Amino acid sequence: MNKRNINKVLIANRGVPAVRIMHTCRDRKIPTTAVYSTPDRLAHHVFMADTAVHIGEAPPIESYLNMDKMIDAALMSKADAIHPGWGFLAENEKFAQRVIDAGLIWIGPSPKVIRLMGDKIAAKELAQKANVPTIPGISDVTDISQIKKWMKSEKIIFPIMIKASAGGGGKGMVKVESEDRMEQAFSQARSEAKKAFGDETVLVEKYIERGRHIEVQIVGDEYGNVIHLFERECTLQRRNQKIIEEAPSPTLDEDLRQEICFTAVRLMREIGYTTAGTVEFIFDSSTRKFYFLEVNTRLQVEHGITELITGLDIVGIMLDVVTGKKLPFKQSDIRPNRWALEVRLNAEDPKTFSPSFGTITRLEIPHGPGVRIASGVYEGADIPPYYDSLFMLLMTAGADREDAVMTMDRALSRNLRVEGVKTLAPLLLSIIRHPSFISGEFSTRFIEEHMDELISMFKEKTSEDEALKVARYVAEISALGHQKWM
Amino acid sequence: MKNNIFAKPGMSPKEIVNAVRSLKGVCFTSVGMRDAGQSDFKNRHRIYDLKTLAPYYNNMGLFSAESHGGARWHVGIMNRREDPFEECRILRENMPDVLLQTLIRETNLWGYRPYPKNVIEHAVSRVDIDIWRCFSFLNDVRNMRSVAETVMKRGRLFEPTISFTVADWATNEYYLGVVGDIIDLCGGIDEIVLCIKDMAGVGDVNRIGNLIDAVKQKYPELVINYHRHITDGLAIPAFLAAAKAGAKIFDVEEDSLVRFYGHSPMLGVHAIFEESGIPVHFGRKEAEAAVQKVREWIGHYEWAESPFKGLDHTVTLHKMPGGAFPSSFEQAQKAEFLHLMPAILKMMSLYNRVVKYFDVTPGSQITWVTCSGIINRYAKERGDVGVRHITELMSEFVEEKAQDFEAMQKGGQEELLMLFRNAPGDFKNLLMGNYGKLPVGWPAEWVYKSAFGDEWQDKIKERKELSPLDSITADDLEKIRRELSDMLGRAATEEEFILYLMHPKDALEFIEFREKFGEAPLVLPTGVWREGLKKPGDRVDFELWGKPYSIELVSIGAEHEGVIHVVMRVNNKTRVYKVETPRAKKAETKMAKGPNEIGAPINGNIWRIGNPERGTLRVGDIVHKGEEIANLEAMKMENAIMAPFDGQITEVCVKLNDTVQEGQMIFVLDKIEVKEQEPIGRID
Repeated sequence: MNKRNINKVLIANRGVPAVRIMHTCRDRKIPTTAVYSTPDRLAHHVFMADTAVHIGEAPPIESYLNMDKMIDAALMSKADAIHPGWGFLAENEKFAQRVIDAGLIWIGPSPKVIRLMGDKIAAKELAQKANVPTIPGISDVTDISQIKKWMKSEKIIFPIMIKASAGGGGKGMVKVESEDRMEQAFSQARSEAKKAFGDETVLVEKYIERGRHIEVQIVGDEYGNVIHLFERECTLQRRNQKIIEEAPSPTLDEDLRQEICFTAVRLMREIGYTTAGTVEFIFDSSTRKFYFLEVNTRLQVEHGITELITGLDIVGIMLDVVTGKKLPFKQSDIRPNRWALEVRLNAEDPKTFSPSFGTITRLEIPHGPGVRIASGVYEGADIPPYYDSLFMLLMTAGADREDAVMTMDRALSRNLRVEGVKTLAPLLLSIIRHPSFISGEFSTRFIEEHMDELISMFKEKTSEDEALKVARYVAEISALGHQKWM
Repeated sequence: MKNNIFAKPGMSPKEIVNAVRSLKGVCFTSVGMRDAGQSDFKNRHRIYDLKTLAPYYNNMGLFSAESHGGARWHVGIMNRREDPFEECRILRENMPDVLLQTLIRETNLWGYRPYPKNVIEHAVSRVDIDIWRCFSFLNDVRNMRSVAETVMKRGRLFEPTISFTVADWATNEYYLGVVGDIIDLCGGIDEIVLCIKDMAGVGDVNRIGNLIDAVKQKYPELVINYHRHITDGLAIPAFLAAAKAGAKIFDVEEDSLVRFYGHSPMLGVHAIFEESGIPVHFGRKEAEAAVQKVREWIGHYEWAESPFKGLDHTVTLHKMPGGAFPSSFEQAQKAEFLHLMPAILKMMSLYNRVVKYFDVTPGSQITWVTCSGIINRYAKERGDVGVRHITELMSEFVEEKAQDFEAMQKGGQEELLMLFRNAPGDFKNLLMGNYGKLPVGWPAEWVYKSAFGDEWQDKIKERKELSPLDSITADDLEKIRRELSDMLGRAATEEEFILYLMHPKDALEFIEFREKFGEAPLVLPTGVWREGLKKPGDRVDFELWGKPYSIELVSIGAEHEGVIHVVMRVNNKTRVYKVETPRAKKAETKMAKGPNEIGAPINGNIWRIGNPERGTLRVGDIVHKGEEIANLEAMKMENAIMAPFDGQITEVCVKLNDTVQEGQMIFVLDKIEVKEQEPIGRID
């Protein structure tokens, strides 16, 4: 294939993914174009880029999901490639096709692969064809009587999961515990699917109780080389969204690790996958079996921990592959030698998970040995209410799991300070200090099962924070005069 | 330097008592850390300053340091934003060899209303205090039982206290009876110190010597502590008489703290005792240093001192104790009835011969609010003539007619029968026995008629003869703890829980303050605590958790839309603070206007919606005329709000613990029509 060159990359995204991608572009001295909606005018990613283009108003449909404006922005700013990041248009085959049609380089797998994998039903069929174990289920459900019939004939017992066929990221997924909840869950899943993906098609699967979520990072080039970069464990979720990930998985033994990784490679080779992608599995720890869930045809949020254990730059690999370069390594060259942990810092109330937006009035970013931070914000930045609440990823690495956890504890408890918005930090800290997390014994339901215990562990004070409270008092008294009773 | 310490934490009550007995002469309790501040400085002395005295106290050879209790607890939570538990920890660290002493109001503990037995036991067993001075404003020794038992079981020293006044009924025989009750309660005299609390400082020199002599005659081995305020000007000679009669412990404070309403100067008392041949166990050198130390910070509290300065021997008539005296003048000035003070003081001196108890919290507040209320009502309704009239009428009744109600003329009788109709809820609680037994029996029947009108006989029937300890039902502590945790959104600590048990509303505000402002109350010097930083470049350096911090003011912006921006350098880093002015926070308050809208009778805090019989009232509940529907606390007093007619609650306009202003709407009631009633002679 032809070798191409990238002279400038437009990142069709905002916040953490945009900043992450710009870092690699800076490494390679490739100029970048940022896009921004009106409320993001002063956002961090805008200033990271070499050029910035306003693409519309706050609602994503007018800005970050607006394909016309994205392509216009690329052409106008003389970008010749588009990286979609994750979320927004990242798994939109139509967009990928339009990028290519506009004569630009699409930094991701081909539209065909995206389409194939984006259709959960087709993906599952493909997996079955590639001899990858899948969860029992039915597709194209339009009516709950279909679900009842299937459950009867396949002897499926509750709980079951209704999912958007076009889904991902936890949206449009509803768990059903009993028959009388089915009707409501079904319509909820369809309406969420419609809202999130513009497609209300849903599928239904058996729900694996206390399952663990394990995924394999894959990279592939245009020459048929498909290599795995080992697995990540992403079991800790709240409302079906991951909040803590680690690599390697503490659950797998070496045999299972090899098996799951090569199963993923087999599938991706079958598909003809290029650039970076992830094969997600659910692992039933009681039977020690894993089942195929889906393929994410994009850069994954948690790719950073794989980078930490392998020393590779996955965004860099994507840039190379789409310019026709061969993967510069063989499978046997990939030898992870670290343990890495990631927590997602969302602007949310750590007890209720309701989103918290506003201005970040104080931001101290962790640093020191073993820490990697991917931040979408700066002190003084606004977190607008329109988009995803993730604003920072904290990653730590160590020689073993204990090291990585210890460093994360330090980063969260002694380094990180965020004021102005609420964050998940207290919850994240409580989780990594919980005995079940430390022993590696947890399931996707860990947080809901231990919420009260976790909340009670929230309090942590440092003299630095306390001094700022004293300063706030001095500020108030200085401005307002002494208190009434004085 | 020789070691002056003869009693210290860790010793058993018996060891402490024996140590005092075996002293050659007398010793001192310093009230410099509590009562001195309460009497003359409105309890504003901060632990930040008080702790500078601790190193001197640690080797001063004191019997104890009264550093806790009384109103210091409540004012600490409410104003100074200090927590009594942390105060104890700070003092323990800085003066580990000194016995810490609290002052406790028997069943009222550190609050203003009787707490149930389980609350008393819970709190008393968890406060780290060595000496528990416990008094009853009724000398109802029964009320001390729970405190006594809990303290003695812990192996801490119980110091039962008799409230002292001068009155025809307050004879040696009476006091010996009280002492007898106390000794029975405490199982003897070997593990207690008896305190005589001459709260208003009204005992003349001979009276004090005579009383202590009588007690010592009967109980030669009993260790007696004499506590006396100085307002009458005779405290030091009275001390001398008490010492000669055998009292062992005397309450004193730093000479440089002495004003007009507190206690005697330690150096002065030491000098006169020594001169009179009474040895004093006292580290004079340390005391002189402490007196000097006080001068370094006392100037920061001038604003807290009363503008009404000076001694006044007439305190022996109206008997208003300690700091209550100047603060009543300040209240009168603020509410613009200063010119009525002579009449109010006169009324108090007559009133306390009609309703007999001791002028100590909460009794002193009941006396003050009741008497100032009567005089103010007459002033409002009938002007100066009315004020003169009512004081003359009371003088006639008490002084000329020796309280013979029948001897009064009809018009005078009728007026007396309305005298207490508008008295505060706590006055009525007192008559109902809710605080315990009065020292020499219940007031005359006409007082009940006056307070309760037609219902007086029922009220006498309902009057409680039991101690509140036996009549108040236990609180569900775990439920209250959960309620607090729910409000905080996290588990409450044990200490927060106890603060909440004592003063629910103020404890919540305190916790909120400290979550927002951290340790500002502990680490900031008093000038900055009070006024902040004034000019650009002004700086405060302080230590927090052993590390140095510095805050420097850069600038204070102009107010814009209710916000002021303050720029400061905190440890060299520039930060901008957004401060909301009160204007930004102001919320609308609805006032009661129509006949169906029930308003607050005075400014205060709604601490109960409903009444103890029915519990909380809600929208839809039917209430009956005269039924208590809410209770408001103001100036340490409870004020019941009664339903003015039979009705159904259609709106509750306040939340529990809301602060309301006079006339603010509290309920909306829909009238339920019943058959017309005879109008009765009520003026409310």
